[in-house]
Amino acid sequence: MAIRKLLALSRRPLLLSGRSASTAAALASSDLAAPSPARPPVMHYDRLAEAVQSKIRRLDDPDPRFLRYASPHPALADHTSILAAPQTRVTTLPNGLRIATESTLASRTATVGVWIDAGSRFETDETNGTAHFLEHMIFKGTESRTVRQLEEEIENMGGHLNAYTSREQTTYYAKVLDKDVPKALEILADILQNSCFDEKRIERERDVILREMEEVEGQTEEVIFDHLHATAFQYTPLGRTILGPAQNIKTITKEHLKNYISTHYTAPRMVISAAGAVKHEDIVEQVKKVFTKLSNDPTTASELVAKEPAIFTGSEVRIIDDDIPLAQFAVAFSGASWTDPDSIALMVMQSMLGSWNKNAGGGKHMGSELSQRIAINEIAESMMAFNTNYKDTGLFGVYAVAKPDCLDDLAYAIMYEISKLSYRVSEADVTRARNQLKSSLQLHIDGTSPVAEDIGRQMLTYRRRVPVAELFARIDAVDASSVKRVANRFIFDQDVAIAAMGPIQSLPDYNWFRRRTYLLRY
Amino acid sequence: MFRFSKRFRLDKLFKNGAICKSGLMALILHDGTSGHGVASRYLSHEPLSYNEDSYTKCIPPLFHPLPGLKLPICLPDSAELNPTKVTTLPNGLRVASEDSLGPAACVGIYVDSGSIYETEESTGVTHLLERLAFKSTKHRSHLQIVHEVESIGGNVGASASREQMGYSYDTLKAYLPAVVELLIDCVRNPVFLDSEVQEQVNRTKWEIGDITKDPQQFLLDSLHLAGYSGALGKPLMAPESALERINGSKIRKFYQENYTADHMVLAAFGVDHEDLLAIAEPLLYDLERGIAMEVPKSTYTGGDFRHKICSEKTHVALAFEVPGGWRHEKDATALTVLQTLMGGGGSFSAGGPGKGMHSRLYLRVLNKYQEVQSFLAFSSIYNDTGLFGVHSITGSDFVSKAVDVAVNELHAIATPGQVTELELHRAKNATRLAILLNLESRAIVAEDIGRQVLTYGCRKPVDYFLRCLDELTLDDLTILAQKMLSSPLTMASWGDVDHVPSYASVAQRFQASI
Repeated sequence: MAIRKLLALSRRPLLLSGRSASTAAALASSDLAAPSPARPPVMHYDRLAEAVQSKIRRLDDPDPRFLRYASPHPALADHTSILAAPQTRVTTLPNGLRIATESTLASRTATVGVWIDAGSRFETDETNGTAHFLEHMIFKGTESRTVRQLEEEIENMGGHLNAYTSREQTTYYAKVLDKDVPKALEILADILQNSCFDEKRIERERDVILREMEEVEGQTEEVIFDHLHATAFQYTPLGRTILGPAQNIKTITKEHLKNYISTHYTAPRMVISAAGAVKHEDIVEQVKKVFTKLSNDPTTASELVAKEPAIFTGSEVRIIDDDIPLAQFAVAFSGASWTDPDSIALMVMQSMLGSWNKNAGGGKHMGSELSQRIAINEIAESMMAFNTNYKDTGLFGVYAVAKPDCLDDLAYAIMYEISKLSYRVSEADVTRARNQLKSSLQLHIDGTSPVAEDIGRQMLTYRRRVPVAELFARIDAVDASSVKRVANRFIFDQDVAIAAMGPIQSLPDYNWFRRRTYLLRY
Repeated sequence: MFRFSKRFRLDKLFKNGAICKSGLMALILHDGTSGHGVASRYLSHEPLSYNEDSYTKCIPPLFHPLPGLKLPICLPDSAELNPTKVTTLPNGLRVASEDSLGPAACVGIYVDSGSIYETEESTGVTHLLERLAFKSTKHRSHLQIVHEVESIGGNVGASASREQMGYSYDTLKAYLPAVVELLIDCVRNPVFLDSEVQEQVNRTKWEIGDITKDPQQFLLDSLHLAGYSGALGKPLMAPESALERINGSKIRKFYQENYTADHMVLAAFGVDHEDLLAIAEPLLYDLERGIAMEVPKSTYTGGDFRHKICSEKTHVALAFEVPGGWRHEKDATALTVLQTLMGGGGSFSAGGPGKGMHSRLYLRVLNKYQEVQSFLAFSSIYNDTGLFGVHSITGSDFVSKAVDVAVNELHAIATPGQVTELELHRAKNATRLAILLNLESRAIVAEDIGRQVLTYGCRKPVDYFLRCLDELTLDDLTILAQKMLSSPLTMASWGDVDHVPSYASVAQRFQASI
């Protein structure tokens, strides 16, 4: 409401057009009364007044042309015209391998890749790090190609081959020109099925990974989230890091890698996803030809997850280091799984909490009340709400970086705004968050790689591609009352997990945080 | 306390979806209170009441489609690429756009304005203008602008370069009128409130004080300072002394001189040209045409710049003039290929094959010398001229060797027979893919339309550049490299500069061989 008043104030001349017109008339008549040359301001005070007047005059004459369409008040827009998208075609081969494509034939490049339902959560304490090690080793030569041949083949096409490993997914994909798609697919098939894992290469790669580990340890955000997982999901598979402990990196053997491939890189747990200048039939034909050696072990990832579920434990980890200038911490609740209907509401809530940093253009004017509190009181360097989903659980919370002397104010602001989601939620805030969520989901899809990524991820998590129309309808179904309901489910009086690093002596204790997940009202 | 503990259990029960209703009733009855009344009171007061059953019934888990939702018909796979349409308004302002089928659009305004147009008076204004983008206008306060952008969830951005300014707004198509209106208002009617100017001046000062964070940017700016006399020799990063003098009225004066109709292009991707004109023309037709003025001249002179600072790393950049600049498309294309061909980068980087690990600088320098932390070819091209060179980061004891290696590498590309066909073929393919991948991104296409119309007066189709690329031969590259190396050397260094060889000794090595 206050925002409405502020915005109305800034439009004063328009709203009170009658009055401003009369003052304008009065000004005009006084100008007429004193014909030019206008009497020069004599006193210092007059000059100052004149300067202020001239500044105000610049603002006093709005042009209605510029105020026709845009409105600062969030409203739901009709997106019907953009909900149609090119068809996603899906074929499932007899061995369970799925192929999903979206063609935009006007494009002259394509992204083709393999998305695998496997990641560091499917390792054991002894093999933790294998999935990531494998990601490195897979580009190190196959039975028919040496490393050098492989690299040169890709570089000669001008293409890019890349891979990433997360806790639940592993991806290998290539970005190439349209004519090179078959070759790219053949190379992907070759490295996934025929990698030879030369012992000497494995030794050499250990150092590379250890060095990568050093780099990651320099990125404090990554470190905080690793610690957060480690404490929130302690003694369960999601608590392990992706890179694995240094000890494991030094001891992982060829057997571990081979083993991991044969148990986890199975046809039913893989999706071949392609987007851009590709034809579905061509891709299917070629996949049939080149992906022939995959294991068709029917164990699904969900079965593995059910065997070893992730269990959230309210707990904290604090690493005090007074030598670094900024403190950082993340506070998280147990969130929703990928397929939980409430995961959409949590995405809206994440967008309501927003993110902010010192250099953002919005400054103190951001719509999120948490951002406003932080910006106006200058209690943080940056803040980001996060919402991570996994197969059986998730993490929802806020990550912030701040100077050590404002940690208690910041912790209060964060906990107040999070727990407020269970009590007081305005429709305007929800509508704004929904609009932002829709825009960010769609604006992110820019080019063929994000499309292929989207298809691959959705096929693994939802077992289908969710149409944009459905996604928007699900987002529209979230209103203030459902936000409150979902907040009551995930936030109200629930345990929190905290990870903090740096000069954090003044960060409130665990019970303080736990107590602020609810308000006492009588 | 009692209520709190009960809520806790209720809440747990609600997690289990369908069975919650009976569970809840049982619990409350068990507590011995009057069942239904309590339940309904409890539920009606609390947000919990949200009829869980009906909700889960109409919103199933994401494995299953939403029941009753009518899906739109799928788009065809083979959409034609639309041509770029350009309309010149009577006041000289150009509106250029290209349509597309996707759900989003990007609209931008590009202006022939930058640090080359600055005078003694207005040094540093361009930098400030970038930071003052999307601040208060005649019609909207900054607060209102932020809220308008947030209420539709778009992305706004501004970027300043030496010759052009760009403002862009990325959005879903449904919001197009509002987006065009806000963008034009922000570029046409800024008021540069004293408070906002002061705030940005302070921030800029703080940012400049911290150059150690981005020595690469600093070095590039220094290369221009040392290498050019005239317009391009002016700093893009506002110097501290200039910031003291800048105020709202100076910015306004510069703004009024440069942001005129004939200097501006409204460019958009994902928009129907007629729709765009219908919204934009009434907002732009009365923008005044500026007085015709010449583009300020700059002369390449070459030179040396050293910034001594205590640091473990020493950066050195060697650069030469690129004759012609963007307006000479053939050379500009050849230069892009040459840069890809030399390639290079950090000594440690993650990622799979295809990021240029077989480019010349990787194979010949980074894989050979462990001491080199980063070694890469860079270029910075303008309408009529440009810089091309090699940038290296090493420890201070290895600097002279690194400069030596850089000199040799630059010599090598100018020597016929040194570069192989395979390398050229590889670099061409990589450049082609890079161009095509970039042009799949909305924001980049909109920017490309805007900048091309400013530079060439029209938008050249991508095929034209691809043909230029195809026709390149090894000789073209060698000749271009020779032309560049015949211009005077520009050198810039940062860090422990006492170990960097003197300008004369390096320059002499280039003169001797040509």
